[in-house]
Amino acid sequence: MTIVDFQNVHRAYTEGVDVLAGVSFSIAPGQVVGLLGKNGAGKTTLLRIAMGMIDPQQGSVRVFGLDPRTQPLEVKSRVGYVSEEQILPSYLRVDQVIALHKGLFPTWDDDLAHDMITRFSIPGRQKIKTLSKGQARQVALLCAVAHRPELLLLDEPAGGLDPAARREFLETSIQLLNETGTTILFSSHYMTDVERLADRIVMIHDGKVLIDTELDELRENYSLALVQRNGQISRDRLLALEACLGVRERADALHAVFEMEPEKVEELLSREIGLTGARCTRIALEEMFIELAGGQS
Amino acid sequence: MQFVIAAGSELPIYRQLMRQITDGIAGGRLRPGDKLTSQRELAQQLVIAPLTVKKAYDELEREGLIRTERGRGTFVTTSASPLDPREQRERLRDPARRLLSRAHLGGVSLAELVSLLQELSAELQSERLSEEDRP
Repeated sequence: MTIVDFQNVHRAYTEGVDVLAGVSFSIAPGQVVGLLGKNGAGKTTLLRIAMGMIDPQQGSVRVFGLDPRTQPLEVKSRVGYVSEEQILPSYLRVDQVIALHKGLFPTWDDDLAHDMITRFSIPGRQKIKTLSKGQARQVALLCAVAHRPELLLLDEPAGGLDPAARREFLETSIQLLNETGTTILFSSHYMTDVERLADRIVMIHDGKVLIDTELDELRENYSLALVQRNGQISRDRLLALEACLGVRERADALHAVFEMEPEKVEELLSREIGLTGARCTRIALEEMFIELAGGQS
Repeated sequence: MQFVIAAGSELPIYRQLMRQITDGIAGGRLRPGDKLTSQRELAQQLVIAPLTVKKAYDELEREGLIRTERGRGTFVTTSASPLDPREQRERLRDPARRLLSRAHLGGVSLAELVSLLQELSAELQSERLSEEDRP
């Protein structure tokens, strides 16, 4: 049983320029997947495709085994979605927006809603347009989770929030995971948030899935090799090695990311290209992101 | 016992948690029979994914350091090490090899390494003694 299934998803906004060029992965119940990729990588597009807000031009998407485009109500009643932009009706009061959502979802949990209103000190009588960015995001999150969805799709949910508000958002997500076992797919540029919340990451690059791995494996089985620039070893030579995911060229050294433990990379470099003395280390998520997002195209 | 989690560290979060619990047991801050915070509560407290806490607890249980009793909670096991001593020794082989190669690369002699181990062992011992004074 899979909750979300993307198969060979293609989507272009300008003809011939694919934002997504064959993305495939699926998510099992209870998984928390962090969706990574630089700005414009297609994270928002992918989340919108899962919500049935846009169509893939090729390939398919299934949510709970259903097509979100032809069965939008069945899908949406079981999904919570927070978009990157503020999409709540700005002229309504907060309590009106909450009442509106409550009316839409038969599974609405009043206790959870009240709990969040209190915790976030959400001002019910205020109009949406008078809220700060953080407050608006908290209302959006409340509306997305109070019906206890089986799946949460969060697009940069913490974007523009201060560290305290971000932490509150994480706490809410973890409470939901604890109580409901919700499946979550979220995009984020805050790698420390990803490390706290996700158990798996999917990184999209050049329209395709570049990395799809459990987070713990990423830190145990991936490494960064720093190769001194001396004219003998070229970028292409490194890229041609199996397990080399990307090379970033810096002034003094080549930074190569490998899907392999550091000790084995050292062996590989010496065996395959006669290179000894390259520094190979494990790599934290943030560095991984910088090396790969900055060094590929 | 309080735990400190650093996201963004080279060490995965579940390993940070495992290490702190293991050190707690070795240092006497956690004693046989002590009850550990429930997985859900700990996830909420540390603001980390419940699955991460579960993974740490599962590994520690596999190593025989803690035991979960259904409906009662998770406890530090009474025997410090229910694993057979030979197996314990084998488990140390890999980390010991890494330690040795790091010492070698860093130009630290075997004798110096042994004296470092003795120093640390004495520290652990005194920590344990001071813990025994606690009420």
